[in-house]
Amino acid sequence: MPTITYDKRDLLNLIGKDLSDEQLEEVIHLIKPNVEAMKEDEITLELTPDRPDLYGIEGLARAIKQYLGLIIGLKKHKAENPKVQIKAGTVDIRPYIAAAVVRNVTMTDAFIKSLMNIQEVLAETIGRKRKKVAIGIHDFDKIIQPISYTDANPDAKIVPLDTDEEMNLSEVFDKIPKGKEYGHILEGAKKYPVYTDAKGVFSFPPIINSDRTRVTEETKTLFVELTGLDKESVLQTLNILVTNFAERGCVIEAVKIFHGERPEITPDLNPTFLDITLEEINKWIGLDLKKVDAVAILQRMGYDVTESKGTLRVYIPSYRTDILHKIDLIEDVAIGYGFNNFTPELPNIATVGKSHPIEKTSAKYRHLLTGFGFQELIRPVLTNHRDLFEKMNVERENVIELENPVSEDYVCLRNWIVPSLMKVLSVNKHVDYPQNVFEVGDVVVPDDNEEIKAKTVRKVAFIMSHSKASYTDAKAVAETLMKQMSVDYKLEEASSTAFILGRQANILVENKVIGHFGELHPQVLENWGLEMPCAAFEISL
Amino acid sequence: MKKYELTEEGRDYLKKGLPEKQLLDILKKQPLKSMPFDDAKKSVDNFFIALQWALKNKWAKSFGKDLVLGTYPKEIPEQAALEKIDKGEEVDKELIEKLLQRKLIRKVVTSEADKLVGKEITNLTPQLLKSGLWKQVKFKKYDVDVPVSKVYPGKLHPYRQVIEEIREKLIGLGFVEAKGPLVELNFWNADALFMPSDHPARGIHDIYMVKEPREGAVKDESLWKRVEETHKKGWVTGSKGWGVWDAQLARRLILRSQTTAVSARTLANLKKENLPHKMFVIDHVFRPDVIDAKHFIEFDQCEGIVVGEELTFRHLLGYLKEFALTIGAEKVRFKPSYFPFTEFSTELFVYFNDLGWVEAGGSGIFRPEVTLPLGVEAPVLAWGLGLGRLAMLKLGINDIRYLFSDKIDWLREKEMVM
Repeated sequence: MPTITYDKRDLLNLIGKDLSDEQLEEVIHLIKPNVEAMKEDEITLELTPDRPDLYGIEGLARAIKQYLGLIIGLKKHKAENPKVQIKAGTVDIRPYIAAAVVRNVTMTDAFIKSLMNIQEVLAETIGRKRKKVAIGIHDFDKIIQPISYTDANPDAKIVPLDTDEEMNLSEVFDKIPKGKEYGHILEGAKKYPVYTDAKGVFSFPPIINSDRTRVTEETKTLFVELTGLDKESVLQTLNILVTNFAERGCVIEAVKIFHGERPEITPDLNPTFLDITLEEINKWIGLDLKKVDAVAILQRMGYDVTESKGTLRVYIPSYRTDILHKIDLIEDVAIGYGFNNFTPELPNIATVGKSHPIEKTSAKYRHLLTGFGFQELIRPVLTNHRDLFEKMNVERENVIELENPVSEDYVCLRNWIVPSLMKVLSVNKHVDYPQNVFEVGDVVVPDDNEEIKAKTVRKVAFIMSHSKASYTDAKAVAETLMKQMSVDYKLEEASSTAFILGRQANILVENKVIGHFGELHPQVLENWGLEMPCAAFEISL
Repeated sequence: MKKYELTEEGRDYLKKGLPEKQLLDILKKQPLKSMPFDDAKKSVDNFFIALQWALKNKWAKSFGKDLVLGTYPKEIPEQAALEKIDKGEEVDKELIEKLLQRKLIRKVVTSEADKLVGKEITNLTPQLLKSGLWKQVKFKKYDVDVPVSKVYPGKLHPYRQVIEEIREKLIGLGFVEAKGPLVELNFWNADALFMPSDHPARGIHDIYMVKEPREGAVKDESLWKRVEETHKKGWVTGSKGWGVWDAQLARRLILRSQTTAVSARTLANLKKENLPHKMFVIDHVFRPDVIDAKHFIEFDQCEGIVVGEELTFRHLLGYLKEFALTIGAEKVRFKPSYFPFTEFSTELFVYFNDLGWVEAGGSGIFRPEVTLPLGVEAPVLAWGLGLGRLAMLKLGINDIRYLFSDKIDWLREKEMVM
């Protein structure tokens, strides 16, 4: 979730009403974002990914004005007829583009700040770090038409933004910071996407703009261009951008894009609509709203509503990219009503609660083991081969490994619990003995018969560690556990290298080994740095 | 203090007389002070012992087939000795030897307990209780503040105690506990929850991927198809969908990053006749993260769903409030939020008297794009709780690593969770 800091004075100017910090915080919470910090001239919000229309300060101010009733309903934005054309070639690596011209720009400090912020945040979020959508904003008056979008050879020239060195496109990746940061998006491409004008390349998406079309304090007209991998996202991002600019009084002018002969005009700022009934609204929210209330609430949330034959037609502004389904509108009715104005109510439905059988059994083992005076441990399922096998003096077994571990201590899932307990004993040598510990927890073992190629298994394990811990100690507790849990078991001699030979047993149920116990091998104790005998036990439930 | 006591046999003879006395008494009663051996044999216990001692002391003599009374003694010393020993009086050493030989008396074993009579003792022993000597000892007084050695109870982990308490409450509210696998398909962890294929939380920085094998499968092909259609074009859900779907990504094996995967599996298996249904799960999830006091790569979530016709947003708020109150909160507050799989989405804030307002969890109503492909037409209320966070508050700890603590002394000392 993006965290964005806004200029508080600019925000209040855009709202056009003086609000106290408390009032501002309250209305923002009602709309959705979280106020993280409120300072003298700044306000920091945590925003949710569904409302990129609030990422820009202008869009946030618009939503606040609507919620407070300072403007009623949908804010109409119009794109002037196109005067500029783009000839778009086939660029496989970034096939979709959109563009607009923004006139009547007044480059105040606040606007420059906002422009840089919104560009960056949208490219990071909807744009998925520029991969899905990248944005370039230029001084339109420095572009000499005709404009094309095409793919260029790696030796095409550009003077990247904030440099005065002309270089090949292929040099950009190594020579400038943005090239290093975003170059991977174009990895493997033989030709690179570029916007060109009469003078050559002026934008190299998704990496960098040219220095010669840079926006300055004197800029009067902007050229906004987008490229990306998903058409819908490219168009939506443009809508959010330009409607933000329009809130500052800029005039949006569409651009005609020619893919071959077919012209396409961007942006399309016309509202879309969804039909919904009052009954549907009330059914979901659990209230008995009147039509007039529902309409007023929808207007407060920035929609226009018309009515015909009992159906509400809700007009959705072009920047509300989160409305996929009418349920999204119904949620906005609840938000507009105010979540805390609802009276919570428990439905009158009776069901019988019960615990999962495996938890029921686990609780009984925990009960018995604490009764023996053992301390329960809870240990991570993630671990490493060194702990599971090498330190336990056993051969490596096949376990579930991670492709992207973050620490060498946690690279795979445990397939037995005793090593987890040993790890605890190994860091508690200074603590009073006897140390009798247990865990009832999950392990994961590979299993090709499962849809997920693995099986989660609940296990019970304990270790008794004291100067006289022996096979017979473990056996006494093990057998009592099995008897108390009515497990019909048999013992047979076992030969694990983790245990002393001749002091270990397998536990069999219906001739299948379900676990083992015995005296841990001195080599194992030495591997863990322990100087106290240990008797261990582990079974699968 | 007795040195000797009568044996069973000795006690018998004390009552009935020694065998030789019995014999003499019978002879004395005979008119001729004599009787045939055979008759005498029948009328006395241990005849041969009696005969031996009677003849030896010349109290009787044999005459043909008859036994005849000799000198009837004024006193049979052994008989007198028995009486004296029984009364605890001193007896001649020679007689003691004789009686010991005849196994009519035995030495009294002086127990440890006997030595304590009249003394001040520390430990009350089974011997003292058995012999009744506890009445004759004094008990040493303890200083009430006497230092004692440490003892450690066998105990559940403090975190387990919190988990158990929450489980108990949810079961009490009518929720059925569910479980799901730790290794999971992306399909259940994200796609079935209508999270778009390119959702930022699905990347390698947020999800642990399984190295080998890379892919699993969903056997229910029609479910797979419905989810695919919903992502691409909304299927019959009334949604626009996301326009795209990455099937290979959906097959990718991962470690579960949210227990909502278990909710999705539960919904897919839920039959209409089993409605209404309430389910909860408390279990592990995994997410790559830094490892420090505030973050760990493995933690627990607590999640619940309620499925039933006629359920509304108000009911969702009702459950949240009810649950918050059962965990000891005083007040609740709701805030709009966003989760990809719910709409409505709300965050729950709870007020504890000692802690103030605390963010407790997220909730919502599952989107139709989630429920319809899973075959559920009724509304599904869902909520999730940051269990670790809540447990840390309850346990008064500010390091998340204590939830997996390897500190045995902390586990031993930590008070029970109230």
